Amino acid sequence: MPSEFGLFVSADPGKCSGCKACELACFQSHHVKRNKVGLTVGTVAVPVTPKLYVTVMETASMPIQCKHCENAPCKAVCKQFAISRADGVVIVDEKKCIGCKDCLMACPFGAVSLLPYFVDGRPVPQADSDEGKVAAAKCDLCFEDTAGPACVRACPNEALHLTDVDADRKRKNIAAAEALAVINAGVPERGLL
Amino acid sequence: MNGFVQGDPMLCIGCRTCMIGCVVAHEGLRIFEIDPDGYDFHPRLKVVKTYNVSVPVQCKHCENPACMAVCKSGAISRIDGAVSIDRALCIGCKSCAEACPFGAVEMVTLGGVLNADGSPKATANKCDLCKDVPGGPTCLRVCPTAALRLVTQENMGETIRLKRLGALEAALSQES
Repeated sequence: MPSEFGLFVSADPGKCSGCKACELACFQSHHVKRNKVGLTVGTVAVPVTPKLYVTVMETASMPIQCKHCENAPCKAVCKQFAISRADGVVIVDEKKCIGCKDCLMACPFGAVSLLPYFVDGRPVPQADSDEGKVAAAKCDLCFEDTAGPACVRACPNEALHLTDVDADRKRKNIAAAEALAVINAGVPERGLL
Repeated sequence: MNGFVQGDPMLCIGCRTCMIGCVVAHEGLRIFEIDPDGYDFHPRLKVVKTYNVSVPVQCKHCENPACMAVCKSGAISRIDGAVSIDRALCIGCKSCAEACPFGAVEMVTLGGVLNADGSPKATANKCDLCKDVPGGPTCLRVCPTAALRLVTQENMGETIRLKRLGALEAALSQES
């Protein structure tokens, strides 16, 4: 049964080596149709613009990406209705985005970026800009790809996984219940409490 | 130390009265007089039944709560020793539900409450020790088999003291 609540990709900083394979896989999978980006370097003719962001500290690294919030603040603030939420996936429509940056500011995780918008290998023109249009970009859980999120499949360290909090909760509930049998056996005088 | 309610699988018969008591405590007695669709049935503890045990599982009100640490919208705070969620601030990011190792945080959709954009409001939901309910945690008051107890700093200290005395007595009995 599909979860009532949105799935999201979460990362284990203990396993992430900061290699950015997830970023490249994300970029490639989102641009294979739109900009004919293949799996080899020579096919990349547009800026490399992933929708998740490997974030590095001195002692740890992990990609930061969208949680597909149930009450998504990015969606709430978008005046262009460029952000929608369907089947638990929060999606930005770059065509509708006017680059107001409200969603970038509203997201508490930094999961939204303003990125160059290229179609068919060329920047989408914008009247007053030589560099072309920029638009909000964020993880869309690779909803168009039946194989699921490209980042999860690309990670060589298995540091990423698709999380279903409701299914996980039930599993954790059962472990907690079983543990209570052990915990209660350790109470010497039940009647005292 | 934060107190918490703990269930005993040896006493729990799995009747789920605690879950109903929890909803009554948080939604009010009005639920008995209105349309069943007119209120939210979102108990903050869950009776878990496995082959081996039946027992309610709920928040342990951790001293260093993982849920609170990951909340980026400031919706989780400790109020009078109860780790509590401010539903108005919750953005439904699910991070707290992912972080809790006991599965004590559940995502729920609130009936009749809408976000500014018209979508149904969802929130993280968990035990708040009935901090706003006179008489304290309702689950343990309604349990017909007294399978729930409130563990406090005082009674936990006493339990541990008894365990240490028991261990000492055991050691002495070996010597003689």
